[in-house]
Amino acid sequence: KHPLTDRPFYGKVPERNSFVVKGKVGDADGTLPSVMVKLKGTDIRTSTDENGNYSLTIPEGSGTLVYSSIGYLVQEVPVNNRNTINVTLVAENKTLTEVIVVGYGTQRKSDITGSIVSVNEKALREVPVANLSQALQGKGAGIDIQKGGGNSKPGASPVIRIRGVRSISADNGPLFVVDGIPFNGNINDLNPDDVVSLEVLKDASSTAIYGSRGANGVILVSTKRGALGTPVVTYSGYAGFTKNLGEVNVMNGPQFTDLKKWAVVNGNYVDGKPKYTGIDDPRLLTDGIFAAEELEGIKSGRSTNWQDLIYKTGLNTNHQVGVSGGVEKTQYAVSAGYHNETGIYPGQAFERFSVKASFDQQLGKIVKVGLSSLNTYNTTRGEGANPMGQVLRASPLTIPYDKNGTLLGFVPGSANQVWNPLADFVPGAKEENRKRFGTFTTLYVDVKLAEGFKYKFNAGTEIKSDNYGNFYGSATSNNLGGLSTSSNRNSFRSNYTLENILTYDKTFATHHRLNLTGLFSFQESLSQSNRFNNSDIASELLYYNPTFGANLTGSGDYEKWAIVSYMGRLNYGYKNKYLMTLTMRSDGSSRLAPGSKYQLFPSAALAWNVLEESFMKGVKAVSNLKIRGSYGRVGNTAIDAYQTLGSLGSAVYNFGDQTTTGVYLANVVNPGLKWEYTTTANIGVDFGLFDNRISGSVEAYKSFTEDLLLPQNLPATSGIPNAILTNVGKTENKGLEFQISTVNIKGDGKKEFSWTSDVNVFINRGKITALQENVINDITNSRFVGQPIGTIYDYRRLGIWQNTPADSALARSLGLSLSGTGSVIGNIKVDNANTTPTAAGDQRINADDRVFIGSSQPKWSGGFTNRIAYKNFDFTVVAFGRFGSTIVSRVHNSGFANTFQGNYNNLNVNYWTPTNNENYWPKPNAASTNTPNNSTLGYFDGTFVKIRSLTLGYVLPSSVLTRIGGKSLRIYATANDAFILFSKYRNKYSGIDPEAIGSDNNRGDVNVDTPAAYSIIFGLNMTL
Amino acid sequence: CKKQLTEEPHSILTPEFFRTTQGFKKGLDAAYAGTRMLWGTQNLFTMTVIGTDEFYTGKDGNNDINKYNSNYNTSNGTVAAVWKECYVHINTCNGIIENAPQVTGIDEQLKSRMVAEAKFLRANYYFLLVQFWGDVTLNKTFQTAATTAASRNSLAEVYEFIINDLKEVIATPALFVGPKAAGVRPGQANKAAALHVLAKVYLTRAGSAAKKATDYTDAYTNAMEVINNSGLSLLPDFGQVYAEGNEGSNEVLWSVQHTPNLAYNGPNNSGGADNVLNHMWVPQYELQPGMMRDVFYGRPYIRCVPTPWLTNTAFQERVNDTRYKKTFQTVWYCNNAASIPVWTAPLPAGAPASAVVGKPKFALGDTAIFMPGKDVTNAQIAASRYLLIPPRNYTTSLSPYMQKYNDTKRADLNYPSIRSVIVYRLGETYLIAAEAAFMGGASAADAVNNLNMIRRRAAFPNPNPELMNVSSIPSLDFILDERSRELCGELTRWLDLVRTGKLEERVKLYNNEAKGNIKPFHVLRPIPQSQIDATTTGAAYPQNAGWF
Repeated sequence: KHPLTDRPFYGKVPERNSFVVKGKVGDADGTLPSVMVKLKGTDIRTSTDENGNYSLTIPEGSGTLVYSSIGYLVQEVPVNNRNTINVTLVAENKTLTEVIVVGYGTQRKSDITGSIVSVNEKALREVPVANLSQALQGKGAGIDIQKGGGNSKPGASPVIRIRGVRSISADNGPLFVVDGIPFNGNINDLNPDDVVSLEVLKDASSTAIYGSRGANGVILVSTKRGALGTPVVTYSGYAGFTKNLGEVNVMNGPQFTDLKKWAVVNGNYVDGKPKYTGIDDPRLLTDGIFAAEELEGIKSGRSTNWQDLIYKTGLNTNHQVGVSGGVEKTQYAVSAGYHNETGIYPGQAFERFSVKASFDQQLGKIVKVGLSSLNTYNTTRGEGANPMGQVLRASPLTIPYDKNGTLLGFVPGSANQVWNPLADFVPGAKEENRKRFGTFTTLYVDVKLAEGFKYKFNAGTEIKSDNYGNFYGSATSNNLGGLSTSSNRNSFRSNYTLENILTYDKTFATHHRLNLTGLFSFQESLSQSNRFNNSDIASELLYYNPTFGANLTGSGDYEKWAIVSYMGRLNYGYKNKYLMTLTMRSDGSSRLAPGSKYQLFPSAALAWNVLEESFMKGVKAVSNLKIRGSYGRVGNTAIDAYQTLGSLGSAVYNFGDQTTTGVYLANVVNPGLKWEYTTTANIGVDFGLFDNRISGSVEAYKSFTEDLLLPQNLPATSGIPNAILTNVGKTENKGLEFQISTVNIKGDGKKEFSWTSDVNVFINRGKITALQENVINDITNSRFVGQPIGTIYDYRRLGIWQNTPADSALARSLGLSLSGTGSVIGNIKVDNANTTPTAAGDQRINADDRVFIGSSQPKWSGGFTNRIAYKNFDFTVVAFGRFGSTIVSRVHNSGFANTFQGNYNNLNVNYWTPTNNENYWPKPNAASTNTPNNSTLGYFDGTFVKIRSLTLGYVLPSSVLTRIGGKSLRIYATANDAFILFSKYRNKYSGIDPEAIGSDNNRGDVNVDTPAAYSIIFGLNMTL
Repeated sequence: CKKQLTEEPHSILTPEFFRTTQGFKKGLDAAYAGTRMLWGTQNLFTMTVIGTDEFYTGKDGNNDINKYNSNYNTSNGTVAAVWKECYVHINTCNGIIENAPQVTGIDEQLKSRMVAEAKFLRANYYFLLVQFWGDVTLNKTFQTAATTAASRNSLAEVYEFIINDLKEVIATPALFVGPKAAGVRPGQANKAAALHVLAKVYLTRAGSAAKKATDYTDAYTNAMEVINNSGLSLLPDFGQVYAEGNEGSNEVLWSVQHTPNLAYNGPNNSGGADNVLNHMWVPQYELQPGMMRDVFYGRPYIRCVPTPWLTNTAFQERVNDTRYKKTFQTVWYCNNAASIPVWTAPLPAGAPASAVVGKPKFALGDTAIFMPGKDVTNAQIAASRYLLIPPRNYTTSLSPYMQKYNDTKRADLNYPSIRSVIVYRLGETYLIAAEAAFMGGASAADAVNNLNMIRRRAAFPNPNPELMNVSSIPSLDFILDERSRELCGELTRWLDLVRTGKLEERVKLYNNEAKGNIKPFHVLRPIPQSQIDATTTGAAYPQNAGWF
């Protein structure tokens, strides 16, 4: 029997006749456990057992019982001397009372005036992930999340962009706020299982209260806390495997042999005549063109697939155990988690242990205190491990071993440029470990000063330690047979925030609701680190100790900054009809020069709940209609500490064996530096139709970012080598966002079939409107006025120069060579876009012929979630897509596997030969390191739709559960990232995954790195 | 709160530090370190060695700048890098010189020497600037604020400034008299080096628009001062001048230091300050039968190859003059057993008696490549056991290897050189004296005498060095030819040709790849576009004539 049902909670023994009330509590679907039953005005209470039964002893048969449970309307029932009272609770109408977290407080959803995407716990759990950013993919309009540089390694954090990109040289990532406190740590330091909701604040009205840090959006993270009721024990866990999502299509042995022969034939002329008659010329096998090992491979028909030699199946597992519960004045939640995933190469892994505890305690009637502590320890192995460059280039005619079975160093036949990738995987050859420990603890004291008047002290501290170490043996791709090297880095960061918040909540004259919030906060962050590097280490086991190595060098860093903030906010509502929010924040920062340390960030928002108007009474089809608009200014703190002070550079010299370190003026003082700021206007409509069967919102926004931080190069004659950071550039972003949720088939998902969908579609158009020094085209840095950040500027590829009279005539008119190894026939033909004659009067293809090829900015993006439930089964599909962006595939255009030189293995493409008039891929040519204009081979339409996850779940029936003693149990299977649709890059040009963005340059760069992987996992969620 | 918002750095140095006693000392170290960003780098190498009558682009060179083609333009990165490095370190020198009077706690003698050293370095940086670009911005004071305005000072003014600096250096009593003086550290500035530079500055100004009547005389006088009073002397054997480990020999006036200490010398430790001259000339020997890459023969960067004029004409005399074989490597010994070729049937006519079909042509350690330096027949080539390459078969990937910067003592074949770079040596002082005398600074006999000093040394160990003597100097070209034989590859040729007004003429004569492109305006490097773009205040920064 449940211990709490036996006796009154506070043991107040009745003096007179006791009166016992029993009964059953349920809802429309059946009985309800853990419902609080309380005698109004007293401490006498109990809660229902698993079957919804309760029994409460009260002093007499009068009074009123109060029934409450989360998610249900509170019901009060007078006892009237009845001994049996059965109650049916009614579920809350979510849309009216749903409360969401906003900056420095919470608000009823109906009162929100800004633009906020809220992702609840259920939606978060739909995609089992290693970190929160992955969980957000496809979940909200305006939230664009992609892999950084296409990095698919375990422990990699994706890049988040909210409403596009606005900063050129500063960070474009959003601010994370965890339980009210700004979080500076790594997203991997948060266990997604501990999080119950995410709120993404997008417009200036909702972010302006974060002042100098709000410009890139704010993500509010709420972690799990205890709730009133009997203790609930939960376990969730999954395990599965990860596999590479395909292979890069490189040539096999015979294909590579032909390519290399063609390269040599096309690249060797003697006295203007081809040295070789064709690829059947026998001298091609005797002229030292192929390495001895390659010739052997040709003879024996060898075809080594180097990718097969390194890919393996990764494992993926996650466990979380939690206990939560609470009585009236005390609530708690405690959980522990474990996550481990290994990559598709040996030596890559990410592991995390986490422990979280929270307590909330009411002290008397006016004070409440609470504490929450999130602690994680994680290790990442092999974060820099990237054998792809070697794997894709290694000659398929060779094998990784010599005749004696010894692992080779350089792969034969590749000009001593390709190191045997398998050598990196020899145990002990390579170590790369990162260990992070972090605690993030928040504490609050809530004091009710008077009716509606509250004071809250909120404090948070974040302490991180990060230890990184690596060792690369001599025989690895890092050192190519040179000295072994190692490095160690220790860093420590502490960070604390103190907030004093006063709120005053009052309704005047029935209709005027007023809420005032005042804040004073102080945040200080300190980080320090040091590292040492050395080489020639005596043994790989010693890489933590430089004593046994040689050539020790070191470096260190120290940084401290603080922000002092004042913020005031006024929320005013008239009859729930007209709503207004005014905020003003002032941030003072240590990072700016004296005299300009403080900056103001104001914002205003208005909303109109049209549904509350009398004229809407008759419109039954509309169940929600709100129009809102906001305008405000937010900042970006992207100025490093000490940047306004100027600095000296260091330069090492030696007089003989006497080494010295000199200093010189590298950066001059710039006292005028200030924050970048963004002014945003936002208009939105929230709607609900047919009893909210269709609900959603439409938003339009425009933002102007000014005083952009851009390095201004000084003339070299100034003697100051480094550019001075100045506030000069401007960018603009505008966009449209649609977010719609529908109940396609309304049912309970048990006996009746149910189907719901969430769809979001968003369009953002960004462009640079001003650059430094009145520059229009900053080609070196790929920044162009009038174009989005992340734009590609290059020649336009037309095809291949064919051996036709027309092409020859054109080539001749452009002064291009038509004979010998430098003949353009068979090479990439680019557009002579600029037809203005040059000063010399002739037509040439030169740098002026480059044009805008595209950018990482998609035409539109969207996400799509479908949930179907029937009987005890549920099925969820989460998909997202980007349409019309341009990506840069380094696999296709860098000097790695697509040079057409024949030195290295090549992508398996249908290249041009005299008899194959291919018009896309050029001829092989041993005389050029890269095929001319090779950069143009890397641009692809980045369109794709990715099935982020497919999940099939089954909830065990309660009859089975009772037997095993649980409350609920769901088992499921999920396929993550298993399908990429509509991607030409993948389907036609043998790319693997088009999802990529460079976190620094914001270009859609797919690097030559760990290829994308998919995972299949099996899991269960259980409540006891 | 005010206090909380005040910054107090603990891991960076702010500009105020530069004014302290410690900052003064460390500033001078940085001014020296700046020389490493020039002498030993690929940038200065590219601007002084290739595109001349001596060397042109090798297979992996691909330098538009050296072909003077239309892609060599104002955006050229090599030119911009050297321009910038000079100005950064001039500013460091300016800071030292300007702060000196205020710096306390340092012996006045030592202080005056340090100021002299800074002036020596400043003169060297300005000397490079004025030779490459002509009129340049003359910063005489320490720049500490962001400035976006700049203008050019006249050639005459810049030369005046350099000469004045060097005269003050030479007149500083505390300065070390020469590189061998007691207490001098390797690489440290000294009076003998300053005299050498001063001689060269006079000689160069004499060939410029800013010339003065006394320049050749002054050049000769200062050069002779070094020759007679520096205490240095020519090494007996030319082959020893560039021998590994001999960078501090009795002939060296000033060198830029590099180090075998791998903590401060690449890969990845030096921030662009490496001496990579060891890689620049290495040809593609490794792909030939019996050969593979190793530390001894070096990493083939193949940035340049000698012009036929250099190997076949300038070094035509190889009996009395030993410098050809001491400058060029022409034999490679087999270091790769796996790729030794075998004789195939039928054996070529004239094959050695030991040749057997199916058997290796040679063994490990035997000759694998040989360049006889004279023509041989195709039959001889076919019958040779090793790869025989006569001059007609020299290619841009494989021809005689200019070995002055060879470095066999590195930790790994990809590592940069650990050798210091000799910037000024007594051998050149004689040639400066000869040139100055020939141009009118002294008698014809003085010119011949100084030239013959160098020529006689070139005969070592031949018993009769007098055979090398010439009785007269027929032309300035003869001095330039002699400079090639003595100094080829030593980071000075392009400047020598400009000084003597012979760049266009001799490139057209001897450099096949550049002769069709070179124009008169190429005697000045373009002002970097970045300089012009960044000069946003005041008048536009003027470009050199011919460049746009």
